[in-house]
Amino acid sequence: MSNKKNYGMVIDTRVCVGCSACVYACKQENSVPEGYCRDWVVQESGGEYPKLTMENRSERCQHCDNAPCVTYCPTRASHYDENGTVQINRSLCTGCKACMAACPYDARYVHPEGFVDKCSLCRHRIEQGLETACVSICPTGSLNLVDFNNMNEKTRALLRGKLVYRQKEHAGTEPSLHWISASNKPGA
Amino acid sequence: MLATAVNEIVSTKINPNVVPHLHIWEWHIPLYLFLGGMAGGLLVITSIMIILKRKFGVGPRDQGEGCPCLAVRLGSILSPTLLGIGMLFLFLDLAHPLYVWAFYTTIQPTSPMSAGSWILIAFFPLAILQAMLVNKRQLRDLNIEPINKVIDWTENHMTIVALVNAHIGVGIGIYTGILLSFFSARPLWSSSILGMLFLVSGISSAAALMLLLAPEDEKPVYSMIDANAIWIELMTVGLFVLGGLTGSANTHGAMMHLITGDVNLAGMSYMFWFWGVFVAAGLVVPLLLEFLEAAGVHVRFPNVAPVMVLFGGLILRFLIVFAGQSYHTFM
Repeated sequence: MSNKKNYGMVIDTRVCVGCSACVYACKQENSVPEGYCRDWVVQESGGEYPKLTMENRSERCQHCDNAPCVTYCPTRASHYDENGTVQINRSLCTGCKACMAACPYDARYVHPEGFVDKCSLCRHRIEQGLETACVSICPTGSLNLVDFNNMNEKTRALLRGKLVYRQKEHAGTEPSLHWISASNKPGA
Repeated sequence: MLATAVNEIVSTKINPNVVPHLHIWEWHIPLYLFLGGMAGGLLVITSIMIILKRKFGVGPRDQGEGCPCLAVRLGSILSPTLLGIGMLFLFLDLAHPLYVWAFYTTIQPTSPMSAGSWILIAFFPLAILQAMLVNKRQLRDLNIEPINKVIDWTENHMTIVALVNAHIGVGIGIYTGILLSFFSARPLWSSSILGMLFLVSGISSAAALMLLLAPEDEKPVYSMIDANAIWIELMTVGLFVLGGLTGSANTHGAMMHLITGDVNLAGMSYMFWFWGVFVAAGLVVPLLLEFLEAAGVHVRFPNVAPVMVLFGGLILRFLIVFAGQSYHTFM
């Protein structure tokens, strides 16, 4: 057991049905203003008929270990917190948008009140020992909050033997979201 | 008929509030980059002129009491003025302008925006001293004691002040490009030659502005500086385009998005803006006009070339900023 936390997610796209409950739970939990979102659902279809594949994904800030937004922030507003997540200090954010230009995942937006906003991995809930809003509402168990420094047997079993990827790993960002590919589905 | 493999992505994120390329930087930033580049260029040219005159006795005509010619005097004043106006646009672009102080509570070595905010401040003191010194005849008439003292100090340290200023000018010019080129997530910007391109373009725009301001007998020297800068800029643009085209799928696609792009900007596609307005009207035609002028063929409208150069420089900043954002993020 490590005392240092390193939170991220394991997202099982095999069971995601694209219901968007995560999006609306997040909007309500984090008072995300109308017309904005901190997480979103992507449906990617590919292949050649009749061999078509489809993957649903609930996407958000990747809470990178080498986050370009933190690197480029001129005021320390974007920073790593003790849980291994990336957070924004609103009282230091000038809204210069350097972080938005730097993010390869397009995870950030300008909040109408004049600061840059994004997924906080529900820091306020994690601190109380709760799961994130999106994880707690997910009806199929696709979303899993994981402390990668203290992975439990359930997570290990979930990952074992599967094709697991991280998005745009070649950007050198060390993202903390791990995706169980939909190609692991039987018959895919 | 061949069956075609498809790849289709549907996202609940298709929303102009959230998709960043639709709203990172708008017109403020390209305008600031243009004014900042020109301010840097003005500082470089006027500083070099002053050093040449003081140390080697060549350069602009002396107008008595060590005051150089009109174009250097005006250029020295315009340099900090234009940068100040540019910074105003930068300020207006901030989503939370009242928190602008947060830039100056820290130095973040990995953030070009942090370095830039400090270099912008460093620019002013010496640039203003230099502007005061070259306009000392007018200032001495006011006979204000502190101003006289400052002018005396600058007079005794002019060579070092001008030398430092020339470097700060180059720093500002390069910085306007580096600001964009550090973003590896935006493939069009992620080119180290962008700093060089914006520096040369800034020097060329500054020379064009001084050419417009200079009286008839001073014009040839600025025409010559401009022609040389345009020539180097053409080479640099060529390298920038080649570097993009020969790069990875990301940079290749982003460069094609700029140079053959059909995205509409104020009624014209990127392709026409880039080749027609920036390269042809902003570089090639003014270079020819200034070459003709130097060869002794007098062009009927001598102000046409510098105005075209200035417009081309402005368009370059708009094109790079907008095309860099409207192309998809690093894949």
